[in-house]
Amino acid sequence: MTGFVDFYTEADTFLHRMDPRVKIVAVLLLSLLAFILTNLLYLLVLLAFIMLLVYLSRATFSRTMFALKFVLRLMVLIVVLWPLFDRSGTPVLASLGPISISEPAIWRGIASAVRVGCLASVWYILMFTTSQRDLVRALVKLGLRFDFGLALSISLRFFPTFLATIESITDAQRARGLDLERRGLIKRSRNYVAVLVPAVVSALKTADTLSLALESRAYGARPDRTYLRQIRMRPSDYVAFAGVVAMLAIPAVARFVFLVDI
Amino acid sequence: MIPESKAFGIDDKVISVRNLKFTYEGGVEALTGVNLDIKRGEYVAIVGGNGSGKTTLAKNVIGLLRPASGTILVKGTSTSEQKIAALARIVGYAFQNPDHQLFCSSVTEEVRFGPLNLGFPELELNAQVEHAMVAMDLLEVKDKPPISLTLSQRRRVSIASVIAMNPQILIFDEPTTGLDMKESEELMAGIGKLNSEGRTIILITHDMKLVARYARRVIVMSEGRVVLDSDPAGVFSDLDALLRSKLVPPPVVRLAYRLSTQGVPRDVLSPEELVLRLMMIRGEGK
Repeated sequence: MTGFVDFYTEADTFLHRMDPRVKIVAVLLLSLLAFILTNLLYLLVLLAFIMLLVYLSRATFSRTMFALKFVLRLMVLIVVLWPLFDRSGTPVLASLGPISISEPAIWRGIASAVRVGCLASVWYILMFTTSQRDLVRALVKLGLRFDFGLALSISLRFFPTFLATIESITDAQRARGLDLERRGLIKRSRNYVAVLVPAVVSALKTADTLSLALESRAYGARPDRTYLRQIRMRPSDYVAFAGVVAMLAIPAVARFVFLVDI
Repeated sequence: MIPESKAFGIDDKVISVRNLKFTYEGGVEALTGVNLDIKRGEYVAIVGGNGSGKTTLAKNVIGLLRPASGTILVKGTSTSEQKIAALARIVGYAFQNPDHQLFCSSVTEEVRFGPLNLGFPELELNAQVEHAMVAMDLLEVKDKPPISLTLSQRRRVSIASVIAMNPQILIFDEPTTGLDMKESEELMAGIGKLNSEGRTIILITHDMKLVARYARRVIVMSEGRVVLDSDPAGVFSDLDALLRSKLVPPPVVRLAYRLSTQGVPRDVLSPEELVLRLMMIRGEGK
């Protein structure tokens, strides 16, 4: 179950070694790039580049497939639905009553699907190669308040625990004859009360204990904090950062300064 | 309180497990071939180190987990043919953590939840709830919200909510964890009473003192199978097997072993018995 909560795969690749701050910024810049590009060919090149990085992240095959299946479904959905709503352009290929399908709309649909594919899968690079701990640390370094960073890492840490508690509560109630497969929405949601109430109570109790544990270790005694492990930019991080900035800057200048259609 | 007690005759095995294997998702082999029979009215303790498969076995018996292979017969019917709710009428399982099931605003409501789910007619439902509350000594707190009670009371509420479904077989998973001496003695007395009503009791525990005192049969589990199955004295006499299963006999039994050179027999199970034996030996000496 934890596999679906934490996508991180332990490995030693240049992506794993990269400063998490650079990774976060790079993913954001690549997402921006997907918005700037309109030409299907360039979008396909970007998608291929992202897929290459996903491949290089050395996530297990089954995990990659699990992640990409979701992206692929979304892309197919867009390709199918886009021409039905975007009716501009000629030649019109087919029309039936109010519905007409034009050729440019089909191409625009495919381009949008590839763009969404880029936007969705670029995040997998970050998720596959960055541990939750590094991710939170990078966000704090980028200016997130430490308290929020801690809250974020605690919720990530306790999510699998919480799922396990819910499972054990469900078991206990089923042993008392609770039928959660019963049909009918009202009856079923009423039955889930028997699971939700103990789950919320147990989550509140955990939070209470946790805050005591934090305070007993002098949490918040000083406003600033030091870290056992510092993240530091290395030359390779600067190179990667410059590379991604260039990847975004060149098409952006071409499109917005020289008004080239890309 | 058990309506079908007379109808139940020739074959008095209430639970019969054959070659039961179970593997968790992710590949942990929790049960590697369990064989055992439990008869009507027995008081059995299932003991074993953490991860020996005790709870997994119990969850298979009540149908929450389905065997990978092998069979489990509960009162002669295979569990794989029955729904969990149908099995709950026969086998009650009191979970380790009471807070994983308490959700109602009063103790009475909480105890009524199970039999209500099983569709008991109103008259029988009231009788069973009353009986369960008396058995677990809850009448004083019957209108209070269960969450506001002490751990001992909460555990008794969760047990009462299982008893109220009137199962012939009751499985208790570590019922005394976190209770003080007095609380656990009261609870065990209540469980003893349920056994004398004719119900089969299965006690899952680490606590060997509890086993020495209450169980009449002990099943030792290790690495997903049954390694010893005997009366308490018989099980405690096999020290090597116990140690291999990460268990140690209770202190009084170990003391009796040390004193066996002085003529103390090895089947002593309680301090009272040891004192009696020692007095007999001294009497003979004089």
